[in-house]
Amino acid sequence: MELIILGVVVVLFILVVVGMYNSLIGKKNDVENAFASIDTILKKRYDLIPNLVATVKKYMEHERGLLESITTLRARAVSGNILPDEAITINNEISKAMGGIMVAVENYPDLKASQNFMDLQRSLNEVEEQLSAARRAFNAAVTTFNNAVEMFPTNIMAGMMHCSRRQLFEIPETERENPDVKDLFA
Amino acid sequence: MKSIENFRSYYNTELQPILKELEEERIGSMRKTGIGATVILGIAAILAAFILNASLSPVALLIPLVIGAALVGGAWWLFTKDFKQHFKNSLIRQVIQYVDPSLAYTPAGKISRYEFESSTLFKHRIDRYRGEDLVDGQIDKTKIRFSELHAEYKTTSTDSKGRRKTHWHTIFKGLFFIADFNKHFHGRTVVLPDSAEKLFGRLGKKLQEWNLSRDDLINMEDVDFEKEFVVYGTDQIEARYILSTALMRRILEFKRKMKVPVHMAFVNSDLYMAISIKKNMFEPRLLRKILDFEIVRDYLEDVILAVGIVEDLNLNTRIWTKE
Repeated sequence: MELIILGVVVVLFILVVVGMYNSLIGKKNDVENAFASIDTILKKRYDLIPNLVATVKKYMEHERGLLESITTLRARAVSGNILPDEAITINNEISKAMGGIMVAVENYPDLKASQNFMDLQRSLNEVEEQLSAARRAFNAAVTTFNNAVEMFPTNIMAGMMHCSRRQLFEIPETERENPDVKDLFA
Repeated sequence: MKSIENFRSYYNTELQPILKELEEERIGSMRKTGIGATVILGIAAILAAFILNASLSPVALLIPLVIGAALVGGAWWLFTKDFKQHFKNSLIRQVIQYVDPSLAYTPAGKISRYEFESSTLFKHRIDRYRGEDLVDGQIDKTKIRFSELHAEYKTTSTDSKGRRKTHWHTIFKGLFFIADFNKHFHGRTVVLPDSAEKLFGRLGKKLQEWNLSRDDLINMEDVDFEKEFVVYGTDQIEARYILSTALMRRILEFKRKMKVPVHMAFVNSDLYMAISIKKNMFEPRLLRKILDFEIVRDYLEDVILAVGIVEDLNLNTRIWTKE
């Protein structure tokens, strides 16, 4: 009799441990998955940059420097051999440069009114909106993961698995100050 | 879309003649109903007297009473039917077109059952599906359609004497609204009123995660929104792409304004909204004078409430690739 009870307790214990282990792995993978999605959308953004440069180049004589710098930044971003941290910095700079271009467009009414540019601007808006959604999804996944890492009883399991808190994706100050592309459209 | 401010002058010039005509018709149909009811009740009284005279059991008195009441109800329906139809086709149509001339009104039409089901908002089997007052049109860039709907399912029970009884239960009753959403998307995202989390807090959230009839649970970062709603979707990122931080605020404000449960689904690039409004919209009140500005303004407010969703949720902002 006692042996049976002991057996049941052991089996239950194993089940709980396996459950906690699997849920932690699942949450960790969700975080990685969400990070990969940000990457996918960033690639979409990189693809739009040559279009943007080609469209505005004809009009913008005085902003050559700005266009060249965004082209170089893009080339670095797509080169492949960069670290995640570096990718974030490059993208922040790309955001800044794109903001600059959008402000400059104000000085070229013909460009602003051209169908080509308006279509492009729609695509850019869409990518930015998707990027923001992907960031939020990443942050939600990280929050769930961090809760599991820090809350009892999964924190014991996390400690044994050497899981530690992950950083949230924060939007840098410079990007927040960027002129909103949407406002320019109004 | 027009507002309430200039409605007074429109009421004076355009609607008053219609209302005068309708008021006469209403009085006429009420008079007919009154005469019909008097005749029926008179016959019922004679029958009752006969029953009493023949000293039958007092239970037999119920027979003329029940039949009389049913006949009076029938007379009410028969004599007001034409008036109701005329009322909707003239007054309500005018009020709707005052709000936007593009809007078409079909009093007997409704959002199809297929569309109701494809929203996936309510998963219960439907046994009876009714609706009326279909409006469709386009507000600026956004196509909209809405109608009143009442979807029910039935259960049967057998009492101790072996009699079978059918019970009808409401799945949804209220205003069902469909609009062309301003962003492209492929999957499905539903926003439902949150009951579990309100009651059980964190545990409620866990229960929602295990809801097998729905897609993945999506946790939104807006705390107030999360308290009111629970979101399920096929794609974590797409759900957040649809439910931007600004849209979540707007939905929350809309919910607070309505003070009734609001269900929303984003499917097939469309927005489906089920608003559980209790009152029967666009119905005439037969026992009250209709030649009254306040009453007509109430109808206008109902139209604006539905059509105003486009503005409430900012659906005419078309800055993304969907035009």
